[in-house]
Amino acid sequence: MSYTIDSKAVSQEPRPGQCLRTFIRDAGVFGVKKGCDQGDCGACTVWLDGVPVHSCLMPAHRAKDKQVTTVQGLEHDGHLHPVQQAFCDAQAFQCGFCAAGMIMTVAALDEEQRADLPRNLKGNLCRCTGYRAIEDAVHGIRSTDDDIAGAACGASLPNPFTQGIVTGHARYTMDVAVENLLHLKVLRSPHAHARIVSIDQSKARAIPGVVEVFTWEDVPRKLFSSATHEDHLVDPDDMYVLDNVARFVGQRVAAVVAETEAAAEAGCRALQVEYEILPAVFDPVEAMQDGAPILHSKGNEAKGNIFVTIKGEVGNVESGFAEAAVVHEKTYSTSRVQHAHLETHGSIAWRGEDGRLHVRTSTQAPFIAHQKLCYLFGIFPHDLHVFTERVGGGFGGKQEMVSEDLCLMATMKLGRPVKWEFTREEQFIGATTRHQMTTKVKLGAKADGTLTALEVHVVSNTGAYGGHGSETLAASLGSPLSAYRCKNKKADGHAVYTNMIPGGGFRGYGASQSTFAIECAMDDLAEKLGMDGFAIRRKNMIGPDDVIESVWSDPSDVSFGSYGLDECLDLVEAALANGEGLPAPEGNWAEGTGIALSVLESGPPTEHRSGGEMRLLPDGSYHLAVGSTEMGNGSINSHRQIAASILGTRGNNVDIINADTDLTPYDTGTFASTGTVVAGQAVALTAKALHDNIVSYAARITDTPVEDWSLVDDAVMNGNRRIELTELYKIGTEAGHRFDAKRKAYLSPRTIAFNVQGVRLAVHRVTGEVRVLHSVHAADIGRPINPMQCRGQLEGAVAMGYGWALTEHMVYDDHGKMLNPALRNYHIPAFADTPRTKIMFADTHDTIGPLGAKAQGECAINAVAPAVSNALANATGVRFAHLPFSPDRIFDQLSVTA
Amino acid sequence: MNPFEYTRAASRHEAATMAAGGATVIAGGTNLLDLMKLEVMTPERLVDISRLDMDDIETTADGGLRIGAMVRNSDLAAHEIVRSTYPVLSRALLAGASGQLRNKASTGGNLLQRTRCYYFYDTAMPCNKREPGSGCQAIGGATRLHAIFGASDHCIATHPSDMAVALQALDAKVEIENATGDIRTVELESFYRLPGNTPHIETELKPGDLITAVIIPPAKGSRQTYRKVRDRASYAFALVSVAGVIEMSDGKIAHASLAFGGVAHKPWRNAEIEQMLLGEAPSQDLFRRVADTLLRNAEAQGDNAFKIKLLHRTLCAVLTELTEG
Repeated sequence: MSYTIDSKAVSQEPRPGQCLRTFIRDAGVFGVKKGCDQGDCGACTVWLDGVPVHSCLMPAHRAKDKQVTTVQGLEHDGHLHPVQQAFCDAQAFQCGFCAAGMIMTVAALDEEQRADLPRNLKGNLCRCTGYRAIEDAVHGIRSTDDDIAGAACGASLPNPFTQGIVTGHARYTMDVAVENLLHLKVLRSPHAHARIVSIDQSKARAIPGVVEVFTWEDVPRKLFSSATHEDHLVDPDDMYVLDNVARFVGQRVAAVVAETEAAAEAGCRALQVEYEILPAVFDPVEAMQDGAPILHSKGNEAKGNIFVTIKGEVGNVESGFAEAAVVHEKTYSTSRVQHAHLETHGSIAWRGEDGRLHVRTSTQAPFIAHQKLCYLFGIFPHDLHVFTERVGGGFGGKQEMVSEDLCLMATMKLGRPVKWEFTREEQFIGATTRHQMTTKVKLGAKADGTLTALEVHVVSNTGAYGGHGSETLAASLGSPLSAYRCKNKKADGHAVYTNMIPGGGFRGYGASQSTFAIECAMDDLAEKLGMDGFAIRRKNMIGPDDVIESVWSDPSDVSFGSYGLDECLDLVEAALANGEGLPAPEGNWAEGTGIALSVLESGPPTEHRSGGEMRLLPDGSYHLAVGSTEMGNGSINSHRQIAASILGTRGNNVDIINADTDLTPYDTGTFASTGTVVAGQAVALTAKALHDNIVSYAARITDTPVEDWSLVDDAVMNGNRRIELTELYKIGTEAGHRFDAKRKAYLSPRTIAFNVQGVRLAVHRVTGEVRVLHSVHAADIGRPINPMQCRGQLEGAVAMGYGWALTEHMVYDDHGKMLNPALRNYHIPAFADTPRTKIMFADTHDTIGPLGAKAQGECAINAVAPAVSNALANATGVRFAHLPFSPDRIFDQLSVTA
Repeated sequence: MNPFEYTRAASRHEAATMAAGGATVIAGGTNLLDLMKLEVMTPERLVDISRLDMDDIETTADGGLRIGAMVRNSDLAAHEIVRSTYPVLSRALLAGASGQLRNKASTGGNLLQRTRCYYFYDTAMPCNKREPGSGCQAIGGATRLHAIFGASDHCIATHPSDMAVALQALDAKVEIENATGDIRTVELESFYRLPGNTPHIETELKPGDLITAVIIPPAKGSRQTYRKVRDRASYAFALVSVAGVIEMSDGKIAHASLAFGGVAHKPWRNAEIEQMLLGEAPSQDLFRRVADTLLRNAEAQGDNAFKIKLLHRTLCAVLTELTEG
C-alpha cells in the first residue's frame, strides 16, 4: 500500500488533481477541516512524515509512500497526546473547529518554537478564543474546575464535547459520509445590478456528472427574508430563493447539482447567462437622492431606497444645545466586515427512511429556518426535520438562512441527498456582513462636563436586501444612547438599500457601530472641556437610579437587574495604572491610553422564546433537551451547569441535546445574547420543575413533608433517610409516575449588561503601525455561570474588536465587487495580532437573569474600537474617526519626531 | 481544481526535458496549488522536483553560500550561517509566511511566486499577466497594493517575495540548468523583468530552464536589517519593505546596498542612491536626499500614493538604524 493515514493503509488512489485534504476526508477521516482551502487558516494541518503542512495545498500524490498523521492519529495506546490533553485542560477552543489543525501545529513545535508563538502560530487562525487559552495550553496551564455535585453553577467545567473536539471525532456540519450524495454549487452574479435575460443551460447539462440546473424559473415565486427573528415581520420579504434580478455582486443566479463538486463547479461555469446591466448605486447617501437607481419596487416607491427610517426625541435638543458651554459635532464611520467563522455555511438535505425531509445544517436558528423552509416549499411542519450537530462558529452570521433552501429544494426534486458547502470566497461575497454605518454625533455640555444635549444621525448601508436592516438600525439608536444620562436626546437614522452585499446580524448588532461614534465623541468633547475620559464618563454615565432611556419616552421592558458600570470603570482605571502590559517597543513610537464603555440590553426588543425538557433516566442521570444552538458560545455547557446546579448533581450527570427540531423544544434561535437569559432561563425553570417533581414524589410515597426532602448527586435525602434516584425511578415508573418536566421562557423583562475596555498602545511615528501594549476589559455580566467560558467569550469578543479596529476591511472596487475575498487578504487577527486582554468581572448578581446571570457574548466587542481610537488620539493628538486604523491611514498624519 | 497529470521527476534532466515540453514544474507547490484551485493557472501536466537532490546549503570557495533550489524556507531561515552572516535574509524569511507554508516552500519557488494582485487572482477580470492582451483592470482600480516603480500601461503588479528583496540586497545570483544540461548563473537583478508590454514573462527563465540554486557572495556589510511595513503584526504582504546591508568604517559609510519590496514588479534597487551614500558620514539630511532621489521617479497609481511617502520615511528610519553607533 502506498498511502498511509494515521498508520492505516488506504486502498484508494487519489483522483487526478485531488488535494490531500479531500483525499483524507474521502477516506472517512473528518478530523481534517476546511476553513479556507487556500493555505491561510491552518484548520487542515496534518503531518507529512512528522512535518506540519496544510493538506489543502498539497497534491494528494505527494503523500505517496509517506506517513500522513492527522489529529485522529495522535492518540497513543488509548491515551491522548500530551498536547491534546493540554487543550482539554486549558479548554483551548470554543467552537472547536480550529482545534484539529491547531493541535497538529502545536504538537510539532520544539522548545525554541514554543517560546515564540507569535511567529510559530502564524499558520493557524482561531476566530473564537482570542488565543489566550491556546497559549495557556502550550504552556500547560489548566483552567478547568472539578465537577462537584451541587456546585456546577459558577464552576469552570469543561465543554462536554471536549474529548471529541481534541481527537477530531466531533462531527461538524460536513463531517458525515452520506451515500448517494449529490453536490450543489451556485453561479453567482458578476454584476451589482442586472436583469437576467436568459440562461442557456445546454453546455452545463452536457457536462458529465451534471444532474440538474435550477434557475429563477424553477423556484417558488414566494418572497421571504433570509434573516431569522421570532417576529418575521421585522425583516422585509424582499428576496426569492433564486431571482431574475441580481442586486449585488455575489447574489445567487443559478444552482447546479452534480455527482461531484468538480462537475457542479464546471456546470456553473458552463452556464451562459445573458444579463441586462442596470444602473447600480453603492453609497447609501447617493442611494437616497432623487434619480438614484431603485432596488426594490414594493408599492412604496415614494420612499425610494430608504428601507426604513427610525427617529425619536426626548426633551428638546435645541434648547439643550442652547444651554451648552461647549458643543462638539463630528462624523464617524465604521467599515464593512465579515464574521469569518471558520466553518463556512453549508447544509446537507435528504429524505429519510421515515419519508420525512431532513436538513443537517450550520445555523444559529434551526426552528426559524424550519418555519421558513415549510413556508417556501409548502411542507407540512411535521414532515421536516432541521438540526445541527457541532457548529463551527456563528457570531450572528448564522442568524441567516442562506444554504438550507437550495439544498432542500434540490433533494425534494431529485430524491437524493444533496450537500452544499460554501467556499471561503462565497462566505465573503455571498453571505452577510456587518452593516456599514456612518454616524454623525453632536454633543453639548456645560463647563463642568454635564451633558445638555445628545444628538445622533445614522445612515446604515443595508445592502441589497433588508434583513436585519431595521433591527440593527434600532439597536444603533438604542442602548449606546441610553448609556448616558441627558435630558435632551434626539436620534434619527435611515437604513438604505444599495447594490452592496446585504448586511446581517453580527456580534454587537448595530450598537457596535454607534457605540464607536458616541464613545469617540465623548472623548473629543472631554478634550474640549479639559477633562479626561474617566471623568466625563463618571459625570454622565447612567446610574442605577436613572431611567434607562434612549430617544423614546414610551415604557420599556429594560431595567437594572443589576448595576456594575461604575465598578467596571474603576477596575479598568486601576488595571491600566498597575504598570502591567508591555513597555513601548524600542524605536520611534508614540504611546497613548484610551477607554470606552458600552451598554447592551440582554436580548432583543423583539419577541424571543425558548423551551426546555428534562427527564430522569433509569440510571439516575438526567437528560436535558434545549432548542438553542451551540456554536462556540458555550451555552451547551452553561445549560447543563444550570440544570445540574438546581438538581444538586454534577454537570457530567446531565446529558444534553440541543438545536434539533425533532428532539428539542422550540427555541427562537441563539442570537442577540439570549443563550443564557432566555434559553438558560428555560433550562432553569425546567430543572426546577423536575426537581420539584422528584422531591414531591419522594415525599408522597413516604408520606412526609415535601420541604424535608432535597436532591443530592444521585439520591433524594430527608435527614438521614436516603432514596437512590435509581430506586426512586424504579418505584415511580412502576407506579406510572413520570419524572419529567417541560417549561418555557420568554425574554421580557430584560436586564442590561455593561462593559468597559481600556487600551494602552504604541503607534510608530514613521510607519503608522500600531502595537497594543496593554489591554484590559471589565464586564458586568452578572454572575458568571462558567467563569472560564465567560472569560473566553469576552476575550474572543475583544479580539474580534481589535480585528475590526485595526486589520479587517472588505475592499470593493467601483463596481461593487469585493477584491479581497480570502483570509490572506482579509485579515482576521492571528495570534501575533491579538494582545492578551486582562478580563475582570464586576461583582454583581442579576435579579432578572437565571441564577444571577446576564448577557455576555456580544457587548464586549462594542467598546474595543472606540477605546483604540481614543488611545490613538491620546498618543498622537489626531482623531482617527474611520475604521480600520491601517498604517497607511495613520502614518501620514504623524510627525516623525516626538 | 482541474485534473492534471502528475510525474515525479527522477532526475533534473528529466524534469527539464518535461518542462521544455510544456509541463509545469512543482516544487513546494504552496503558491502553484492555490493558483490551480482558483484556476488562475491550469497546467495539464505537473513535474515534481521536490525529491531531486537540490536541498543542500554549502559554503562556496570564495566564502559565500550556495543554496539548493529545493532548500525549504524554514530550513534556510534557521541555517546557522544565514542567521549569523546574512541576518537580512533570515529576517525576510521569517517576516513572511506561516510555518506550515515555510515547511514546504522552496528557495527556487519563492523566487517564482506570482503576484498577489487582486485582479490577477480573479479569473473574471481581464489581466495581461494571466491572459496576455486582455487588459489591466488594476489600472484605475483598487491599487493600494500596487507598484510605484517600473510599472507599465500593461501591468502595475508588485512582486510578493520578501526573500527575493533580501537576496537582491545581498547581490545574489540564480543558477539555472537547462534541458541540455548547460548551467549558467544570472544576477538576480537581471533575472527579473519589468512588466513592459509582456507582463506575463516575469523572469529570464526559458522553457526547460530549472533553477538549481541561489548563490550569495560573501556579505559586504555586517549591519543588516529587513524592515517590512504591513497591515498587521502576524503576516501580510509588504506595503513597503526595505532590505539594507551597510558597512561603516571610521564613521563613514563604506558599503551600502538597499533593496525595496512591495513597490515594483521585482525587488527594486537603485544604484544611484547607494553611490550617494558611499564615503559619506551619516546624517538626516543625507538620508532625506537619498530618499528624495529614490522616489524622484516614483509614480502613484491612485490608492497607493501613500507608498511614496511611507517608503521615504521608512528608508530614512532604516538608514538611521543601520548607521547608528
